[in-house]
Amino acid sequence: MNRLRNVLAKKPKKWIMNLLFVAAIGTILVLSFDGATINPLRFPQIPYVFLGIIRGFLNIDWSTVLGYGEFTFSQSIAYYAIQTLAIAFIGTLVGGILAVPASFLAAENVVGKRVARIGRFFLVIIRVFPEIILAFILVKGIGTGPITGIFVIGIHSVGMLGKLFSEAIDSMDRSSIEALDAVGADSLQKLRFGILPQLMPLMSSIALYRLDINVRSATVLGAIGAGGLGTLIILYSNPPSWVSLPGVIVAIMVMVLAVDSISSALRKKLV
Amino acid sequence: MAKITLTNGKIVYKPHNKSWIVLVVIGGLTVLFAYLVSLDSIGIQFHPEELPVILKKLFSPHRGEDWGDYFAYILKLQNVMVTTLQMCYGGTVIGALFAVPFSLLSSKNIVKTKWIYTPFRFLLNLFRTIPIPVLAAICISFVGTGILAGLFAIALFTFGIMVKMLYELIETIDMNIVEALESTGANKLQAIRYAVFPQVFPDYVGYAIYILETNIRSSAILSYVGISSIGTVMKDSEMTDYDKVGGAIILIFIICVIIQLFSDVVRRKLA
Repeated sequence: MNRLRNVLAKKPKKWIMNLLFVAAIGTILVLSFDGATINPLRFPQIPYVFLGIIRGFLNIDWSTVLGYGEFTFSQSIAYYAIQTLAIAFIGTLVGGILAVPASFLAAENVVGKRVARIGRFFLVIIRVFPEIILAFILVKGIGTGPITGIFVIGIHSVGMLGKLFSEAIDSMDRSSIEALDAVGADSLQKLRFGILPQLMPLMSSIALYRLDINVRSATVLGAIGAGGLGTLIILYSNPPSWVSLPGVIVAIMVMVLAVDSISSALRKKLV
Repeated sequence: MAKITLTNGKIVYKPHNKSWIVLVVIGGLTVLFAYLVSLDSIGIQFHPEELPVILKKLFSPHRGEDWGDYFAYILKLQNVMVTTLQMCYGGTVIGALFAVPFSLLSSKNIVKTKWIYTPFRFLLNLFRTIPIPVLAAICISFVGTGILAGLFAIALFTFGIMVKMLYELIETIDMNIVEALESTGANKLQAIRYAVFPQVFPDYVGYAIYILETNIRSSAILSYVGISSIGTVMKDSEMTDYDKVGGAIILIFIICVIIQLFSDVVRRKLA
């Protein structure tokens, strides 16, 4: 029993450090509320706001969502949702295609360490650059509309997919390439029968996952003028209008959940 | 199906190459979506030749000013930057903390009853589809524009992502330790504290830092729904003072790089 107590006493005193960390995080948390004021007159309003939001969701005007009656389809929320899907899909496709050569340039076992480092550096730069700012610059530069959204999603996806693709290439099994070498295959044949069959499922699954994320970010990017549902979000939420916003929210939910489930079903098939 | 007769007289069938179907589907979707995008681009000026002009306007001093003024302006932005960081930090910490109980409730190996974790997961999936400008609109309706609304919006957004990441993490832990503790008579809470918590904590902190990073990158969007953040500078001077917008962009980029480096260091230490 004594020995046990001795061992327990020798236990490193981590709690001091832990306490310091918790205190630091807590202090900054309190500081971050500095200047966060709330008008006390708003408190009695809260139930009404809540009711207003619920009422908005219960009385969604489906003719604006689906575009019938006095609205044409190209004025409907569904049309904007499809446009968002279009931006995300084409953006991911373009980004994915461009990411393939980029990833080969960033893969150590293809181009060697030195070139790979440069390639990786460029991919990092693309990734760190915030999508929103890229959208902002491109909207100013090449104009508003879905094409800008495609450019933004495409450029950003090159950075993200390039990194993941190059990791996939780096962890590739080389024995099948050696086997092809042994039977006298040329480099195109090696690419077709040795590299592609290994990489395609992995790369498509990565790209599908990226499509998921891109649908979400295409929704947001519209706010800056890159086309799609974001245009409507900004239109209806500054200041928030709970008559029109619920329809947009429902459209977003349906769109994102649909893409999510399709892409995860496809990914399960691939891997 | 291609029929192949082998030398020993056996007949084998080469399976259909399914990749053609995939290519046709992708191609069809691309054409359809490209058509939709082109429909919406009629009448919108598409002027890529403007891009270099805009870039020059953004990243060089205004006429009649020098580089000193340009960088002095960046320093003037510190107040807005502090507000932005406040919202991001506070939101991330609060969201990450609230995510803990919900992720425990939606992980299969902790809550073994299906009818508890399935509805939780479904609701959280639904909640996660809501993009951050809409969350901000909800918060603005309740507390008015200001730091508090931005902080809550980021907290809700963080909560959504963190729950998903965390329950997926909890589901991969070693359950033997939990069982061992329970066999010594520990109750559920003690088992979570001494068996689950130590296994997931380092990754949890890593995720939180990663989410903080994305939050800072995407916080500029909040200004488009009326919450003042670093994006407000971009939005307010986008018509007149391109150099100020450029200054804000440079500042966001610097902050993003710093956070990225910081998070890389911390995550490497934790791993």
